[in-house]
Amino acid sequence: MRPRIGWLDHLLGALLCAGYVALLLGTSADLAMSRDESFYVTAAQDYARWMRQLWNDPDAALTTEAIDQGWDYNHEHPGLAKALFALSWIAHENAKPDGGGGSAAAGADEGGLFASDSDAFRFPGMLSAGLLLWLLYIFGARVFGREAGAFAAVAYALMPRPFYHAHLDCFDVPITLAITFAVYAYWRALTSRGWIVIAGLAWGLALAVKHNSWVLPGIFLIHYVWMVLAARARAKRDLPVSARLVTRPWWLVSLAWLGPPIFLATWPWLWHPETMLERFGWYARFHVNHEYYTIAYLGRSWFEPPFPISYPFVLTAITVPLVTLAMAGVGIAMRARAMLPGLLRERVWKNGDVEPDSPHTDVLLIGCLLAPILMIALPSTPIFGGTKHWFTAYPFLCLYAGLGVVRATNALRHGVGARLPASRWTSRVLVSALVIAPMLVQTVHSHPFGLSHYTPLAGGVPGAADLGMNRQFWGFTTGSLTEFFTEQMPNGGTVYLCDMTPGAWEMLHRDGRLPRNVRWSASLTNADFVMVHHEDHFLEVELQSWIAFGTTKPAHVLTYDGVPIITVYENPRRRR
Amino acid sequence: MWPFALLALVAIYELVAQAVISARVAPDADWAAAATFVRGELAASDVVIVAPAWADPILRRELGDRIPLAAAGRSDLAAYERVWELSIRGRRAPELEGARSRMEPAFEGAFGGVTVRRFDLGESSVRLDLTSSLRDAEVRRGARTCAWRRNAPQGGGLGAGPLTPAEHFFCGPEPWLWVGETATEDLALQGRHCVWQHPAGTEPISTTYRDVELPGRVVLYGGIYYLHERDEVHGPVDVRVLVDGAEVGRMQHRDGEGWKRMEASTREGRGDVTIEVTAPDPNMRTFCWSASLRGPAREVGE
Repeated sequence: MRPRIGWLDHLLGALLCAGYVALLLGTSADLAMSRDESFYVTAAQDYARWMRQLWNDPDAALTTEAIDQGWDYNHEHPGLAKALFALSWIAHENAKPDGGGGSAAAGADEGGLFASDSDAFRFPGMLSAGLLLWLLYIFGARVFGREAGAFAAVAYALMPRPFYHAHLDCFDVPITLAITFAVYAYWRALTSRGWIVIAGLAWGLALAVKHNSWVLPGIFLIHYVWMVLAARARAKRDLPVSARLVTRPWWLVSLAWLGPPIFLATWPWLWHPETMLERFGWYARFHVNHEYYTIAYLGRSWFEPPFPISYPFVLTAITVPLVTLAMAGVGIAMRARAMLPGLLRERVWKNGDVEPDSPHTDVLLIGCLLAPILMIALPSTPIFGGTKHWFTAYPFLCLYAGLGVVRATNALRHGVGARLPASRWTSRVLVSALVIAPMLVQTVHSHPFGLSHYTPLAGGVPGAADLGMNRQFWGFTTGSLTEFFTEQMPNGGTVYLCDMTPGAWEMLHRDGRLPRNVRWSASLTNADFVMVHHEDHFLEVELQSWIAFGTTKPAHVLTYDGVPIITVYENPRRRR
Repeated sequence: MWPFALLALVAIYELVAQAVISARVAPDADWAAAATFVRGELAASDVVIVAPAWADPILRRELGDRIPLAAAGRSDLAAYERVWELSIRGRRAPELEGARSRMEPAFEGAFGGVTVRRFDLGESSVRLDLTSSLRDAEVRRGARTCAWRRNAPQGGGLGAGPLTPAEHFFCGPEPWLWVGETATEDLALQGRHCVWQHPAGTEPISTTYRDVELPGRVVLYGGIYYLHERDEVHGPVDVRVLVDGAEVGRMQHRDGEGWKRMEASTREGRGDVTIEVTAPDPNMRTFCWSASLRGPAREVGE
């Protein structure tokens, strides 16, 4: 019997959301902006200028020239997430005593809604992470019960890699929220006609966030066909079929009618009728033929297909806390019978008390869990994004982990029974502590090196270095060197940025984390300091530093669990 | 009870393992203590190496002033008589595998989490390191002499390849037609101390060392900059080693072969040694070599 979800559940969800967003805001300053974030800041500032123009002079803003000026940058991704970053930044600027004026040069010390400009751009991403916990609790509570929902939300919150990404003004967490919500809405629409329209809206929003949402209708269609065939089979055998089940594909109509219009409506770059198709074609081709970037995996730097099929499976195994994986395994094992086709179930697993529900929820959930991972496992799919490209699988993994935790709690209570004082609560507290402690320890330990973190299954960070795993990307670890550079260059100086972008460096200035006279240098040989972000193929920058500065001795090595993350070389000219 | 037992087992494993991983990290003080000891013992013909290789920046932070470019970017251990190995996590340097199978370390000591071992390999076979002696050579493009010049180092950055050192021979007119001592990232993503000698096509670029002692062997390693070799779409590079104008060894380097070794015998006595590089198609043939003149090979470390 599924619980009736009421306002108290939403209150708990809202508290989870608010608490997580507060945690993210409190820890955001430890992370310098990553490469991709800095691109989205530039885009968001362009969007913000256009939005201000739209507010002040709509006719001028809606001209082809104005739209292209505002929306052309970074048109490889749709507009919604970056528009939210822009709105957040506008709100931040407007809260400044002088109104901000939309100046990129404005700094955190001038007030504003957030502690820093970076937080302003990042807030929508953080809010997405918080809302995802809320959604996971509600989704889990409806499918497997409140305890499972709560544990699912906690399990997601305490995954080291998603915790890092939850801080960022990027798309990976917003799209995880959008896709999870679209799945939830579709699932509700199978038994509640009121949700049919919401399903279409949700998919449209997902399309407007990132391109991985285009595959959702395919997943839904497979599930839908499965569900309808199962319902027909039951009807043929005079077995009861839930009267609430919506067996006509209204959801598909909703997706088709609402998805593309929302995608278009939220992306002005596609608004010109004469260029719409051409631009959409460019967008599609960009992602279908995406460039390959180099990434290390098991001691080899991969830069072209065929990529290893094992990649997403191994990376999931060594970056997600094992306790989460183990409990998800328990949850999936519990529900495995319900995931089998009816005929197969009756043949190979005849006796069992687990039956599929009418909408075949388990088939949907397992499909949503496996689809992103299997897509990355295709040898032709680029793997440079590390785990973030299959984050959309993790909410569903966490739902089963929540169910597994409930199963473990019940097992303890029934196994020990009356021997435990207040056995119901004692078992809950004991199991909660056992589940949360390792997740918490690892997530705390991962900060602020999120992308460098590996779980004990890999031997931790040093074990992963032994295995030849990627140590980081995007250059965000520079945030751990701001004190070093500030101390070393009291009168200012220059730094060669390696994998960091000038835009990300500029955000350190805007946030007040680096003095403005500590500047970035485009020239390695003329810089006062050179950073080498340790990715295997970036070794050349280290070798260039040796030749430029005539020494192999670094001025500083930033380490994480004893593993070099950034090595810094000093130009000997400074000592003369 | 099994779901709870599994949960308890996994949770305790993760907590204990995380604590063990953190506890096993060698603190900076251990590295500093090991380095202080090694620094006090270090002789001119020694080299210091580290295991695992990813700890190399930490080793050089501590002892980089005693690890010159030639040592940091070595192709093998032939130039060194004693090898100091600093290791953590019980790891051993793969390049000492041969030495370990034949000898016990002459010294072994622990400095907290850092273990120091010394292997005495014996007298070095290297009589002249051609890579480090480039300043004494003559460089020609065809019959034309390339001028030695000194200016600020040029280049740098991701994808830029080996840096042009401040001092180098310039053959030109193409800016990449210089010959100089630098370091390259080879196909295995190893740093190599080497002489950049980009081919100019079928017209040879040659580096000649006049009137040097010939101890009987020349050993040459060569390879292409990682980004230009990894796609395996470009043509070969031909290298010839000549003594007094007569070919004694030849190597053709093809994409995918990485840092390739060639060994040739020479007569003994004195003579002119030339390293000549050509390529049918010089496009993206960012060739770099490291070579030395050697006497009889010793048992280990080559």
